[in-house]
Amino acid sequence: MKRDGFLTFLPWAAPWLAGFVLFTALPVGLGIWYAFTDYTLLEPPIMVGTKNFARLADDPILGTVAWNTFFFGLLSIVVGTVLSIALAVLLSKPARFQAFWRSAVFVPSVLPLIAVAAIFKLGFDGELGAANQLLGFIGVEGPNWFGSGAWAWTALLLMSLWGVGPAVVIYLAGLRDVPKQLHEAASLDGVGSWGRFIHVTLPMISPVILFNVVIGIINAAQVFVMPLVMTGGGPGRSTYFFAMYVYDQAFQYGDMGYASVLGLVQFAAILVLTGLVLFLGQRFVYYRGA
Amino acid sequence: MNLLNQQTSITRRAALGAFGAAAAGYAFLGGTQRNDIPSGRVVLDYWEKWTGHEAAAMQTVVDAFNASQDRWWVNYLSVSGLDRKAKIAIAAEDPPDLLGLWHRNIPFFRRSGALLSLDSLGRSRDDYASVLRPILFGEMQDAVPTTCSSIALYYDRAMFRKFGFDPDRPPTTVPEFDEVINALTIRDKDGKVERAGFLPGDPGWWNWSYGPFFGGQMYDPVADKAMVDSPGMIRAYEWVQSFPQRWGLENLRRFQGALVDNPSPYRNFFSGRLATTLQGPWVAKFMQEEMGSSLMDYAAAPFPVDPSVQDANNPHGSIECDVLVVPRNVRHPEGSLAFVSFLQQPENLERLASGHGKPSPLVKPSASFLAEHPNRSIEVHQSIMVSQNAFAEPFTEVWPEFSNSLGAGMSQIDVLQATPAEAFAQVQQEVQAQLTRAAARRALRESRL
Repeated sequence: MKRDGFLTFLPWAAPWLAGFVLFTALPVGLGIWYAFTDYTLLEPPIMVGTKNFARLADDPILGTVAWNTFFFGLLSIVVGTVLSIALAVLLSKPARFQAFWRSAVFVPSVLPLIAVAAIFKLGFDGELGAANQLLGFIGVEGPNWFGSGAWAWTALLLMSLWGVGPAVVIYLAGLRDVPKQLHEAASLDGVGSWGRFIHVTLPMISPVILFNVVIGIINAAQVFVMPLVMTGGGPGRSTYFFAMYVYDQAFQYGDMGYASVLGLVQFAAILVLTGLVLFLGQRFVYYRGA
Repeated sequence: MNLLNQQTSITRRAALGAFGAAAAGYAFLGGTQRNDIPSGRVVLDYWEKWTGHEAAAMQTVVDAFNASQDRWWVNYLSVSGLDRKAKIAIAAEDPPDLLGLWHRNIPFFRRSGALLSLDSLGRSRDDYASVLRPILFGEMQDAVPTTCSSIALYYDRAMFRKFGFDPDRPPTTVPEFDEVINALTIRDKDGKVERAGFLPGDPGWWNWSYGPFFGGQMYDPVADKAMVDSPGMIRAYEWVQSFPQRWGLENLRRFQGALVDNPSPYRNFFSGRLATTLQGPWVAKFMQEEMGSSLMDYAAAPFPVDPSVQDANNPHGSIECDVLVVPRNVRHPEGSLAFVSFLQQPENLERLASGHGKPSPLVKPSASFLAEHPNRSIEVHQSIMVSQNAFAEPFTEVWPEFSNSLGAGMSQIDVLQATPAEAFAQVQQEVQAQLTRAAARRALRESRL
């Protein structure tokens, strides 16, 4: 019976298993191997031991891309979390055309990121860009968004908010699970709406916040398409992020070995940060029934 | 239990049926081929970077080749991110039969042994402009030019006349040019730039190229040494930095961030907001496309230089070159070479150059090519192309990384964050480390051969 079950399982799982082995397990294994080699892509890899790892210590660009990625992640997660919770709370209230508003918040996130980035690039570009046109309506002269690091960061941050839809949906689901009795009890005790939000709603949806923050960390550590299309990493290296640097090392500079090391560093950083957040989560997250 | 078994047998059958249907579908529909290819021809895939009128110009050469014989059929494909995709295709041993690269890609592909020899074409180094020879020939010829360009200063002759400058005698030295720039620049009462006489960062494609106009050189190919912090380079970028210093950084940011009436990279020059600009010869084609009947009375001249390096017979200017290569492991090397040989016939090279609005890569272009060229200033570009003072980006496999470091340094200069001496000291360190590392990698590979 067990063997029979396995034989049934195998053909159905085979496409996924093949995909996992070919496109995840094998590349990860090869990546670990390449990290110990000098590999230009066009010539066979040559073992160089830990030479690529030693290079991390005196790489003048690594610090810049690591800091940019960390700081961008921090900002986008904080701003994104606040915005998506606020939107979820608004969308959870009974309103006319509620389904439309909910769809309107979610639909942008189904568009391909590269197309969205191209649209945002136009939107933030000069006098005819929508951003500066809108600012012009209220009498403000818009900046040259991609001409300075600070404004380029602002543009990237604003674009990162475009994809809050999935987080909002998850928060909405979390909000539906907050027991009404708790709100009623708090109201009877004279707690206002803001107090109920802080002392009832937030603790009750804290597991959802934790989940979204972890997903946010993983996404932010891999930010790539958006800055590649919008700023190309500039001006200077002000919007040059870790994943862009990995890509450049691999495909622009032909150093697959060092790119693999950077990929492993990126993986380790995500692992550590996620672990840290989960550890902190034990103190700050409230699990009902736990 | 029985139900389970019954379900299992049904799903197995269904699964087999589904797989069978998919396989049949692929067999009938997946392998469809273009039906405009005459039967009996061997198809050669040609990856090239061009689209629009540039692709159309190459397509006419391809069509002529396809019509000239009955064995091969070149299939022209416009491919984005060409150099990166080519690396992967060659690494996977499934390269296109013909590959159009940028000249700056050649050192990496050549060093990696990814290019087939084209020596059998029998071309001499002397056939090509001297600046192109290191690009086309390593230990053997492994690349041929498709279209090449030299970069020059474009200006509006009518505007020159209006401000009292002789349009037939454009500035030849930087001090003369500064005089023109100051006269043609218009600023409002708040200091905002309404028209710039020139902007070193517009369109921004050749920001690396100012050094040689001041006698600077950023790389010594013989010693394989970075020279980014050499005095000529510093002087050049002090001049570049003088623009935000003259007009104010915020004023320039506002000016450069503004769109006029279209998203074209030529918009500032075509609209008259920029009086002069550094441009390639193809600009005449785009001017025709974008301005139509209101075409400006343009002219081109070699970019002005520091008086210390002025050489009337050998104008200074950067060049760039699109090249055609045959990657290793192609399926039909004989067919690839047949097309390359056809393309290198002077009339075909000139037909292509003319279609792109570019000069000829050959030392001696035909009189009819120059007379019928769509760019009225083609002789200026041709003279730069064959000049002893023509120059290209540092011809090294680390150029992509080099240019990233250089770009970061130049950004600091542009926004007045650092003086050229300070910025280039850092760039020099970074680039020298890149060159040293590349040399060590080369040595490692050679030691394994």
